[in-house]
Amino acid sequence: MANPLRIRLGVHNLDDAQIASFRNSYQQMMGIGDNRGYQYLAGLHGVPSWYCWHHQQNAHSAQQLQLFLPWHRAYLYNWEMAMRDRVPDVTLPWWDWTLRPPRQNGIPQIFGVAEFNGQPNPLTGFRINLPNTRPPLVHRTAREPGPPGELPTQSDVDDALARTDWNDFTEALEDIHDNVHGWVSGDMGVVGTAGFDPIFWSHHAMIDRLWWLWQARNGNGNISTDLLDEVLAPFNFRVRDVLSINDLGYDYAAAQSVVPIAGGAS
Amino acid sequence: MAGRKKQPKSGGAPKTTPTASAQPAAPQPPSPTPPSGAEPGTPAGALGVPKRGTRAAKIYTSKPVPIDFAGPDHRYVRSDLEIYGIYHGGPSYEGRIFLNNPKADQTTARTRENGYAGSFYIFGHGGCLGDPGHCEVNEENREEYDFRPPHPLTPAKKKVTVTDTLREIARTNKTATITVVPIVTATNELCDDVDVFRFEKMRFVSYNP
Repeated sequence: MANPLRIRLGVHNLDDAQIASFRNSYQQMMGIGDNRGYQYLAGLHGVPSWYCWHHQQNAHSAQQLQLFLPWHRAYLYNWEMAMRDRVPDVTLPWWDWTLRPPRQNGIPQIFGVAEFNGQPNPLTGFRINLPNTRPPLVHRTAREPGPPGELPTQSDVDDALARTDWNDFTEALEDIHDNVHGWVSGDMGVVGTAGFDPIFWSHHAMIDRLWWLWQARNGNGNISTDLLDEVLAPFNFRVRDVLSINDLGYDYAAAQSVVPIAGGAS
Repeated sequence: MAGRKKQPKSGGAPKTTPTASAQPAAPQPPSPTPPSGAEPGTPAGALGVPKRGTRAAKIYTSKPVPIDFAGPDHRYVRSDLEIYGIYHGGPSYEGRIFLNNPKADQTTARTRENGYAGSFYIFGHGGCLGDPGHCEVNEENREEYDFRPPHPLTPAKKKVTVTDTLREIARTNKTATITVVPIVTATNELCDDVDVFRFEKMRFVSYNP
């Protein structure tokens, strides 16, 4: 029997066991110094590897290279696989920054509390250790979030999702994404160090989920065929390979409750 | 930072109106000592955690531009302000757009009455963390058979839908000024956090039903 799709859940809906698995996966990754570890993978985004795609880089064509969404989907796929190498059933939860009190007020609590079960909470930050960059980058990540009311609203999201043109949609969603990075500020606030903040991944899972919601309405829309064979380095995907998240083995849901087989009525 | 010579000039061709408290300043070099509050063992000159901007960034105001196309005699469903060639190698910031309010600054409330039309957001590179030349964009001199990806700091494009504010102003005005007020959300020792908004050109684009 085929394995069921991995379900990425909302941060606000995780139960205690799911939170523990999530934290455990990051804790273990942070302890690995090679290319399976937190620093190596987080460093693919900005410092020191600079693979990420932002701001539609293309100096020569009005048809921009809109790789922001596909590249980050490939990145998150590889990240989640690395998480599951450590904790097999864990999935990457998404941070819905449109939620307002009483459900959530700014940074979700699981990323903010200093301790969890008497141990330091790995979701609060990561100590970057890149002494050979110029200048050296050696510090523990920190945040300086803005007022929660300044985060994007559901109305902002609805406006982006209503855009049926691919270029129009991806530009609108990237702008919302840019807003959240600046809102968190600190290391999340600049491209070079954003990937090292543990909240980065859940922010991008939200962005990826919104693309998937848009795809549910529009399919792949009028995405340029010129884009489909663009390689999403350093990952072994082209754009066409990441268009379906189900083909990548996952889906998004608000919550999940697994029904135990044992104990059922005969 | 290296590579500044290729970046767009501040404010493009139209005049730039700095606020009294926002004079351009050169980027500051990395601190020769570890940042205050740094952990033991932090190397000298290590880069600190990015912070929110504390100085007023330079404000851009255009000359009056014709907006007759947005007047009551014209049918359109949406107007965008498109901005091209935006430099994003420095800090992250919000660019607040005010129409016909050249006095707008960082303290101006974002209301229709003040001409506020919307914001765009730049997720900045955070300065150059590399050796000399690392952040130098040189796409114009690319070889024909150079198939490597574009430089990450190839300038950005942003567009902001400004329909409602523009429509209201166009009822009684034939022209409007465009003012962009940057609010720096994340910057570090490598970034110029005053001369933030640099771009090549901007235009209004309207769409018919």
